Amino acid sequence: MTNKYEGLEIQEDINLASKTWTLQRIGWVVMLLIVISAVLGFTGGGGVAGINNMKVGGEAEGMQLEYERFLRWEAPAEFKVTLFDVQAPEQQLRFSKDFYEKLQVEQVVPEPKEVQVGKDYITYTFNSEGDEARMIFYLKPQQPGQLQVAVDNGRKKITLSQFVYP
Amino acid sequence: METVIRGLIVYVFLMLIFRISGKRTLYEATVFDFVLLLIIAETTQQALLGEDFSVTNGLVLIVTLLGTDIGLSLLKQRFKRLGHIIEGLPLVLMDNGELLHERMRKARVDEDDILESARELQGLQRLDQIKYAILEKDGKITIIPKEET
Repeated sequence: MTNKYEGLEIQEDINLASKTWTLQRIGWVVMLLIVISAVLGFTGGGGVAGINNMKVGGEAEGMQLEYERFLRWEAPAEFKVTLFDVQAPEQQLRFSKDFYEKLQVEQVVPEPKEVQVGKDYITYTFNSEGDEARMIFYLKPQQPGQLQVAVDNGRKKITLSQFVYP
Repeated sequence: METVIRGLIVYVFLMLIFRISGKRTLYEATVFDFVLLLIIAETTQQALLGEDFSVTNGLVLIVTLLGTDIGLSLLKQRFKRLGHIIEGLPLVLMDNGELLHERMRKARVDEDDILESARELQGLQRLDQIKYAILEKDGKITIIPKEET
């Protein structure tokens, strides 16, 4: 409470005001950092390769997975699997439990021939032709938090972790 | 439960973000600011409701938001200091006809803003007719004219 202004009854607190200004400027920097990290892909939804858009495996390993490291709760996501050097007419992909418990599989392209569920996994069987097969899973995360998915095609097993933002 | 948490998070977030952007941001409502506000409102609405458009969800949310608002106003009444921190206090920008430049710079107000308020509120023409200019809590600038001698 100050009375330094003649005839003006006003409650002013210049200390609080200057603290607010400092915090505001810090806040602006934080806002800028959030925007930059979002552009880079740390908050999901596109971004620079290697931060959000991940690719693991490759032709040498027989299987490649393309996925996003950062997902968002209830926002559509994609999971792409490419199998190389395919010989058998039937291909199996086995996913660990998190895949169907924490994600909602909206659509699988191509349509799997068979889906079987076991205690800790789910197995998709696809008909294949040629020596390369590509499957796309359209997903929707059902709960926020960490997500561990193991993908096994019988020859190679890849475990990946994703994070779902609320 | 999820609705209540969503409501609380968005409430606190909006309060923080508007405090951080500074009070001038909202008051200087140009056409663009108006559009910005509409976009923020639309974005917020989706974050609040998610995919659940049921009546129950809407009602719970309204009660949560209004309840938080009432609760906060009670707290502010009880703890004056809290109110000052959340809403800020008025700030004198012109003391006895003298501009306080440092404060104006920090609060992002310039002479033109003061003159605009002087014209609008008091019908004053020049800076030297103003005794006090005060940046109020809500971002408005109030003017006290010099007494005619």
